[in-house]
Amino acid sequence: MKKECIAMLLAGGQGSRLYVLTENMAKPAVPFGGKFRIIDFPLSNCANAGIDTVGVLTQYRPLELNRYIGSGQPWDLDRADGGVHILPPYQSAGGASWYKGTANAIFQNIGFVDMYDPEYVLILSGDHIYKMNYAKMLAHHKKAGADCTISVMEVPWEDAPRFGIMNVDENDTITEFEEKPAHPKSNLASMGIYVFTWKKLREYLIEDESDEASSNDFGKNIIPKMLQNGEKMAAYRFSGYWKDVGTLDSLWDANMDMLATGSGLDLLEKDWPIYGRSVSAPPAYLGQNAHVKHSVVARGCTVEGEAENSVLSERCTVEEGASVQYSILMPGAVVKKDARVSYAIIGENGVVGEHAFVGAPPEAVPPEQWGITVLGPGAAVADDYVLPANRMRSVDGKETVR
Amino acid sequence: MNGLHGIIFAYEKAPGLRELTEARMPGSVPFGGRYRVVDFMLSNMAGAGITDVGVVLHGNYQSLLEHIGSGKTWDMARKNGGLKLLPPFADARKFGVEEFRGKMEALSGVRSYLHEIRQKYVVLSDSDLIINLPLQKVLDAHIESGADITCVCTESGQFVENATYFTVNEAGRITETRCAPHKASGCRSLEIYLLSRDLLISLVDECAAQDKYSFRSDVLCAMGDKLDLRAFLWDGFAAQLRTVQEYYERSMQLLDPAIRSELLCAERPILAKEDDEAASYIAPDSRCVGSLIADGCQIEGSVEGSILFPGVKVGKGSTVKNCILFKNTVVEEGVTLGCVIADKDVRIRRGGTLIGHESYPLAVSKGSIV
Repeated sequence: MKKECIAMLLAGGQGSRLYVLTENMAKPAVPFGGKFRIIDFPLSNCANAGIDTVGVLTQYRPLELNRYIGSGQPWDLDRADGGVHILPPYQSAGGASWYKGTANAIFQNIGFVDMYDPEYVLILSGDHIYKMNYAKMLAHHKKAGADCTISVMEVPWEDAPRFGIMNVDENDTITEFEEKPAHPKSNLASMGIYVFTWKKLREYLIEDESDEASSNDFGKNIIPKMLQNGEKMAAYRFSGYWKDVGTLDSLWDANMDMLATGSGLDLLEKDWPIYGRSVSAPPAYLGQNAHVKHSVVARGCTVEGEAENSVLSERCTVEEGASVQYSILMPGAVVKKDARVSYAIIGENGVVGEHAFVGAPPEAVPPEQWGITVLGPGAAVADDYVLPANRMRSVDGKETVR
Repeated sequence: MNGLHGIIFAYEKAPGLRELTEARMPGSVPFGGRYRVVDFMLSNMAGAGITDVGVVLHGNYQSLLEHIGSGKTWDMARKNGGLKLLPPFADARKFGVEEFRGKMEALSGVRSYLHEIRQKYVVLSDSDLIINLPLQKVLDAHIESGADITCVCTESGQFVENATYFTVNEAGRITETRCAPHKASGCRSLEIYLLSRDLLISLVDECAAQDKYSFRSDVLCAMGDKLDLRAFLWDGFAAQLRTVQEYYERSMQLLDPAIRSELLCAERPILAKEDDEAASYIAPDSRCVGSLIADGCQIEGSVEGSILFPGVKVGKGSTVKNCILFKNTVVEEGVTLGCVIADKDVRIRRGGTLIGHESYPLAVSKGSIV
């Protein structure tokens, strides 16, 4: 059936800058904030904004993600018509190929989009933490009569050289796009969220595909080409919390932001709920000697020790005498007796042995040697072992300096 | 399909639960921080591979309907069979107004449903029972003993209001049944009964023909010498929640890790409707010890020895001790609460003090502002 707007969610990237965390799963499946996974944010935004048809483009290690999304029921996306669809690359009469770039991934699914014959297509990323009403962005697109609308936000001027910067006129029509400019003319950064008029995008995707030199990417090819051809490109200003969590540092930062009041990222707020698929577990138990401050604790946790400035996801255990500071424990992580975890990310079902040390506070090591310590999913640190700052340890026991 | 069908009786009121059942039936009373009482029996059934369950309803069942929904939580939203909600439909004129007098009357109210049961055996249960029971073992014991009816019971010796007690001989046969005695004696029935579908239907018809309505007095007592009644002894945790006092004591037992790990064990999970809440936030200047905390809570004060359901807020400078706070309870700043059971959406205004006693906890009705 015809839909006005459908969403295409790019979830195929490897997320190589999350290193051990994405060894066995795609980046959008990485846990976030105690009860969620990164992909819950765009999916919940769709659900809340009334977008009922979402194609999720997967490629790298999709099993965990596929199982997590399932029928789409947690996001109310198990619909009689539409709903959530997992779209891996597939073989067609002309042959088969992997998704070569973001634009190519959509190109290969033109057939899927055409089934719903939409006026507009919303292109989303699977690695952003934010709450956004796409319906407002779509309304802006229609009002501006644009062919493409790009969501932008003001960033501090000194950070602008790290982003794709949009230069706009007085009507917020985009006049120029500069990727990581040394001398930015504006501080409006692209958030990697696009609304396209489908008819237009379809033409550009086909044209781009026939261009041998193209890397088939929205940011590098499609957007510059449309600008060059004088298509109507609108900027949609977003204010609120948004973060790309593509690196270990930014993932850790975003979790800490969630703890801080006033960061703009409030997951307990009910007006724009984030949904996720939860495990069935009893409420968290905080023992008689538990000491939990400025932290979140999810269902199924047992805390007998100490946790400060930390995120304790579902079914984590912090045993007596153990201490967790400025750290993220992903679901099922165990910190045994008298262990110390500090400025670290412990992956799903990771185990920190008794009296072990994982990570260190910045003041304890020379600045050039400091960094977040990461224990991969399923990885273990033996009793009394020390895993210093800025190290990563994977499930097979391999240790690397970040 | 394992040959077992479930029927849960959710029609009986429990006046002893006072405020907690003002707006709901005993089956939908919240328990243990994120469950409703009926979740336990439904999960026991799901855990034993039961796919078809009928829930017999009467009275104020709106909250129960809302909670059970399609049965998806227990994987009972099925194309064939699955969970069926059974309001009194056989004789709307008579049963629609008056309460059922007993289980046999309730079953004759849904008689046509009984004939559609696809399984050979049926397990009957009340909806006020908190237990994590491996029902498959009860079925195995039933088949092995060749009993007519297998009754799950406990030797705990605890007295429960309006309970059924059995005398059980060494061979495990029930030789005598006593209904609602004034003091505990022998084994207390947990009101879980397993029998064949055919026997159940013939008993329902026999009772209906003689205007008899009670399972325990008209079947277990009256036909005790004709039927082979066997006991299945359960020595684990089991609570029949019939008074506020009992509700409070049994809830607080969950703070004991041993009891929690038995009742809420990972091998036989208790499944409850999803609450869509983020992880709970515990603020820098708070204190939170010896407590069960569900998701979505925000704690800025002191919480000790308490059970907090999803979305509870405890403001700065407040003290919550030995309390049970249902979903979305708001405790404003500078409040002192002790031995209080606050129902859903209760708000305790700034500076207020409410103290009950362990032997007489104070229950505050749903939505009250204190």
